Amino acid sequence: MSTTTPRIYKGLNLTIFSLVMVFLYIPILILIIFSFNDSRIITGWQGFTTKYYVQLFNNPTIATAFRNTMLIAGLSTLISTSLGVMAALALENTKFKARKGFLALIYTPLVIPDILMGVSLALLFNFTRVNTGMVTVLIAHVTFCISYTVIVIQSRLEGFDYSLVEAAQDLGAKPHYIFWKIKFPLMLPGIIAAALLAFTLSIDDFIITFFTSGRGFDTLPIYVEGTIRRGTITTINALSTLMIAFTLFLVVVTKRIRKIIISAL
Amino acid sequence: MPKSRQALLVKRKNLSSWLLSLPTMLWLLLFFLIPYLIVIIYSFLSPDIYDVKFEFSLDAYRQIFSGDYLRPFLLSFKLAIYTTLLCLILGFPVAYYIARASEKLKNTLLIFIIIPFWTNLIIRIFSWRIFLSYKGVMNDVLLKLGLIHAPLEVMRTDLAVILVMVYVYLPYMILPLYSVLEKLDFTLLNAAMDLGANEVKAFFRITLPLAVEGIFAGTLLVFIPALGAYLIPQLVGNQSSLYIGQVITYKIKNIPRNWPMASALSLTLLFLVALLLLLMYALYRRRLAHRYKS
Repeated sequence: MSTTTPRIYKGLNLTIFSLVMVFLYIPILILIIFSFNDSRIITGWQGFTTKYYVQLFNNPTIATAFRNTMLIAGLSTLISTSLGVMAALALENTKFKARKGFLALIYTPLVIPDILMGVSLALLFNFTRVNTGMVTVLIAHVTFCISYTVIVIQSRLEGFDYSLVEAAQDLGAKPHYIFWKIKFPLMLPGIIAAALLAFTLSIDDFIITFFTSGRGFDTLPIYVEGTIRRGTITTINALSTLMIAFTLFLVVVTKRIRKIIISAL
Repeated sequence: MPKSRQALLVKRKNLSSWLLSLPTMLWLLLFFLIPYLIVIIYSFLSPDIYDVKFEFSLDAYRQIFSGDYLRPFLLSFKLAIYTTLLCLILGFPVAYYIARASEKLKNTLLIFIIIPFWTNLIIRIFSWRIFLSYKGVMNDVLLKLGLIHAPLEVMRTDLAVILVMVYVYLPYMILPLYSVLEKLDFTLLNAAMDLGANEVKAFFRITLPLAVEGIFAGTLLVFIPALGAYLIPQLVGNQSSLYIGQVITYKIKNIPRNWPMASALSLTLLFLVALLLLLMYALYRRRLAHRYKS
């Protein structure tokens, strides 16, 4: 190992790696520290306080936004993952005539800027005179999650060991038995990875939600953006810190799943 | 297996493939393809204060072709180019470092790259505002250290936009680069240097060409979203020079609305993205052909 990379490179790479780490984490650290800062504005350390966390939990608007976010994320994960499982199973059949076209349809949303999906859905809901709100946001979230769930689940199916299925067939197992007892358990890590990715994409989305949510249906990112714009940011630090803690929790809990997402990317 | 039975099996398999893919196809048809049809229709209509008037008009396109919106487009392209280049320059050594780390360390290092990627976007942007603002942490520290005498005005500049864009999109560049560099056979580098190539030559002749797939993937993942950026310019950028994502959003959201204009601008952006993808695809094809020849 030591002989293959020249020492100058190694030093340089380590230096840049460390700098990038500082770059990635400094803002997050500052945010966490300042969530305990007893000051109305963001500058200067004025002493330790947890009062913004108390305010956060007593704020009904944030509670509603949180509920909306979780509801949309949960439902869009469920729908997009179910559709993803079915689509991945269809794509498994390489003789399927519409396979190429279907794959193109699935990949296209990924190479188009998000904002265009937001604009096109906003105009669709205007044209059809649908009232924007929970349902339109849900439709939008499922639409941008599908491509990811199909690709993650499909990439797991590619390394599938069919000798297991053949062995079960030879032993006389029925198709639905083979599916639920052999195939589904082997697909499960991929399905969980896809669900997790969809959930993260959904709770993270701002722009598409911004175009498809009507007044009165705020998700957390929409609420946070509005608050920042109005300049009343005292509780946002505390809220952000909790959201970061939630992320860390997900990362720790899903150690195995993360690997699958990496290999799928 | 007799031929007829096999044919029957293939037929049944195809039928189940159709049934399984139908819900997703319909969903994407209804909520991905048809909406673009409506964007096309709206781009030929006349604007109204709150809505559109169903009267044919070419005004939107006329304005685009007369160059009224050249500046936001150029600004967005400039942003996308800078962001992609900086992500590449910073991301390559990082991906390389992780790819060469021991197996155990690799996963831990990757988690550190991914955690910010899983943290809410708007929160990461917000934390940069705390850091960069006039009375923010950066100026505070620099003033106390005596490195500057007056606060630096970084917030609300194009520099701030590029900085935060790089921050947000860096993981999208590092991950695909890592996945190609991890598969790279590093003994090739050894061989090249044994044969007398110096480090720079070995890098440009071996490492870089073999990492091209990762560079292509990373560039796509960074450049395209950067072209349509709205949130980052909106929260840390200079409001007197608007990016195309902001212009489109304002035309949709702000009153007086101009949906035909927003539609025409969206289609122009879509057209430019498609052109770019075709160009990259052609380059990629040429590279593959080149590789098979040699």
